[in-house]
Amino acid sequence: MQMRRTTTPRTIRLAAIGIALASVTAACGSDDASSDGGTVTVYIGRQYGIEPVFEAFTEATGIEVRFTSGGDPELRERLIAEGENTPADVVLTADAANIELSAQAGLLAPIESEALTAAIPAELRSPDDLWFSLSRRARVVIYSTERVTEPPTTYAAVGDPQWAGRVCLRPSTHPYTQSLVASIIAAEGEERATEIVSSWVANDPLYINSDTDIYKAVASGECDIAIANTYYLGRLQTENPDFPVAISWPEQDGRGAHVNVSAAGVTANAPNPEGAKRLIEWLATDGQEQFAAANFEYPADPTSPVNELVATWGEFTADLGVVLRLGELNPAAVEVLSVAGYE
Amino acid sequence: MTLATIPTSTTTLRRRARSLPGWVAIVVVAGVVAAPVIVIVASILDPTTEVWRELWDTRLPGMIRDTVTLLTTVVIGATVLGTGLAWFVTAYDFPGRRLLGWALVTPLAVPGYVLGFVWLDTMQGPLGARAVRSIWLCAAVLIMALYPYVYLLARAAFRDQSAATVAVARSLGCSPWQAWWRVTLPMARPSIAAGAALVAMEVLTDVGTVRLFNVSTIADGVLRVWFGTGDRNAAAELATLLIGAAVLLIAVERLLRGRARYTQGGRAESVAPRRTRVGTTVAAAVAGWSVVALAVAVPIVKLVRWVGEARATGQTIAVEGDLGFHVTSSVRVAGAATIVCVVVGTTLAWLARRRGTAGQVVARTATLGYAVPGPVVAVGVVITLAALDRRDWLPDGVLLVGSMVGLIYALTVRFLAVSYQGVEATLAKVPPNVIAGARTLGAGPLRVAVRVELPLIRTGLLAAAALVAIDSVKELPVTLLLRPFGTDTLSVWVWRATSESLWVQAAVPSLAIVALGMISVAILQWALDRGAEVTT
Repeated sequence: MQMRRTTTPRTIRLAAIGIALASVTAACGSDDASSDGGTVTVYIGRQYGIEPVFEAFTEATGIEVRFTSGGDPELRERLIAEGENTPADVVLTADAANIELSAQAGLLAPIESEALTAAIPAELRSPDDLWFSLSRRARVVIYSTERVTEPPTTYAAVGDPQWAGRVCLRPSTHPYTQSLVASIIAAEGEERATEIVSSWVANDPLYINSDTDIYKAVASGECDIAIANTYYLGRLQTENPDFPVAISWPEQDGRGAHVNVSAAGVTANAPNPEGAKRLIEWLATDGQEQFAAANFEYPADPTSPVNELVATWGEFTADLGVVLRLGELNPAAVEVLSVAGYE
Repeated sequence: MTLATIPTSTTTLRRRARSLPGWVAIVVVAGVVAAPVIVIVASILDPTTEVWRELWDTRLPGMIRDTVTLLTTVVIGATVLGTGLAWFVTAYDFPGRRLLGWALVTPLAVPGYVLGFVWLDTMQGPLGARAVRSIWLCAAVLIMALYPYVYLLARAAFRDQSAATVAVARSLGCSPWQAWWRVTLPMARPSIAAGAALVAMEVLTDVGTVRLFNVSTIADGVLRVWFGTGDRNAAAELATLLIGAAVLLIAVERLLRGRARYTQGGRAESVAPRRTRVGTTVAAAVAGWSVVALAVAVPIVKLVRWVGEARATGQTIAVEGDLGFHVTSSVRVAGAATIVCVVVGTTLAWLARRRGTAGQVVARTATLGYAVPGPVVAVGVVITLAALDRRDWLPDGVLLVGSMVGLIYALTVRFLAVSYQGVEATLAKVPPNVIAGARTLGAGPLRVAVRVELPLIRTGLLAAAALVAIDSVKELPVTLLLRPFGTDTLSVWVWRATSESLWVQAAVPSLAIVALGMISVAILQWALDRGAEVTT
């Protein structure tokens, strides 16, 4: 290799210096205050369309909301690690198991609020007031309106051999699948739950890791029936009112359709516990309708009106009794899914 | 192994005595970067056998099978494709050679998960939703996304090779093919092996692409166990299995490199590209451009169409801040991470090259973050930094978790391997006699490093920087968990859309990521061309 005298082209050097300076400035400029009286900080698991809801809260109360979104388990690990130093005032999760795990880890402080206990039914809040549900998400049987006339009316019936090769399911990595199986364990016991899940597996389901794509697969004929959350249908029907997939509410003669929740709690080390409480109260009362409607979900407060489009799907009995146990049963559900060979 | 140093015999003892500060430096730097990984691995001291037994009875055999199948297929595919294309564009002259040479790097700009969901959507029609979710299509996507790592490093190695060496081989009676097989290829082997090692690590730790295709790898299993059962220990133990696999891979790479040292003495004239038979050239060019079409053109066309679709239906996901804001965030984060990675990587590689196998091993521990899935690194970093934060060691309650410094540190933990690998491979080619010469002339090691070695490895540094920049722009899990409030990068925007299965709404930020990647690729190409001029 020859070593002719060379200089780095000046542009590169300038660019490098520029980037270095920019990053140093960036590094120094990140000292935003965490406990400003007028701000509530939220750690939020995936939540579709939440920004306008927070904006409405700020408009109503003058309290600013800032949030960091991410997976629920990762945010919980961060909260555990941060301890007293956490900037988070509120934890808002997309399912009951994750908020209950946070509660068990001692990350949440009880909320004393008459407004909340009045608005949210006892089945949908932790007995020691550590967290409160804000909306309900139903996981149901869906079917093609073009090819299916008698869809299954129980979760177990999805395993009926007549549906072999015609079923779409979400992989077991997803919390929705896990909490559904947890609810089946609660109702029918671990042994029977394993049988049911095994019968699904025996139908050689097509696993699709997206509820939207599951709906589309039913519409396009890749499968005839599936298990999915209802609110995705709301989005699809907004695009196409004649979307050829409908809901079959399961377990209506028994415990009711499986329901999970979005839930929130105030962190044990919240810098702004008052603001945190006000945000959760507002979401459960004045903001309740908007919060649920933002994602075509059902309000946690049974007296709050349901979104117009969502109302067209009909009324249903929900399996509310199990919501508080979903967290505790989740590891068992994961095991049942594994043993049954569910992908 | 005895690969590293060829000590100048008379000075060995004195050098050993003087090398203590270097050892301290290497241990400290490696320790700081490796800390989060060590935190995770440490949990193995408290084993949870129950979960293991259940895993072994259920998913683990399948996970291992899928991981091995995917790893083998992708590494072999990417290595053959990358090396072949690199040789084609360096050794042969044909119309559009320079353009193809550049275009073949561009797949780097397309994140694997974007390529994955684009191809899933494209092939769903012809293959059906069931057949499309296969390990083979997943492997094909990963090969397209990852072969440029091998291509880049192999091409640089071929370019740097002296024509004289080949001429000597020919004069000793080798046919052109024999000369290639016995001289050219072995001389490029350290670079090809480094590229293949990068590919292997990317495959081992990928969790975004494999899930799209229902492929259940060990990395996927780590998250499955952890997030499904909340059992961090069991997940950490699985992650340790991955780290073990990575260590094995590194050892294999070293073995491949063997005891040989590949340096070039004297004036080097690169192999000049020559013309060959028209048929061969056309076939190779078609192959090259097809790869570019599949890995870059198809996704871009598809994404552009989705942007139009989202506009037409008026469906856009609400995000805070506009496109410019997200681009700025991405550039700031990736820029800072790149600088830190390159500086630390170079320092470490330089310190390690004089310190034999032990030095290599210590330095290598700093690169293990690359062998751990992103979400696990993210949590490891949070645990490490939060432990510091609780000691109140920074004034005025300033915290590392959720600060820009914390985020850049985390990205360094994750991507140091990329810069280290690149720098180390280049550094290995600096002839020891050049350094010895400079030392004889009275220059200290630091002066030699700055005045002799650094200029010689400049192209390698730039290549490493570009690779880290591209990786950082694409990175998601670490950024998601550690970013300061208000630092929403493009990849975070993609995540917010795709975690709700809104692929169409992810098109704008995905295109922006590709565009930023293209800029890095162009800078890289330009710098390599200049570098090539300098060394011929």
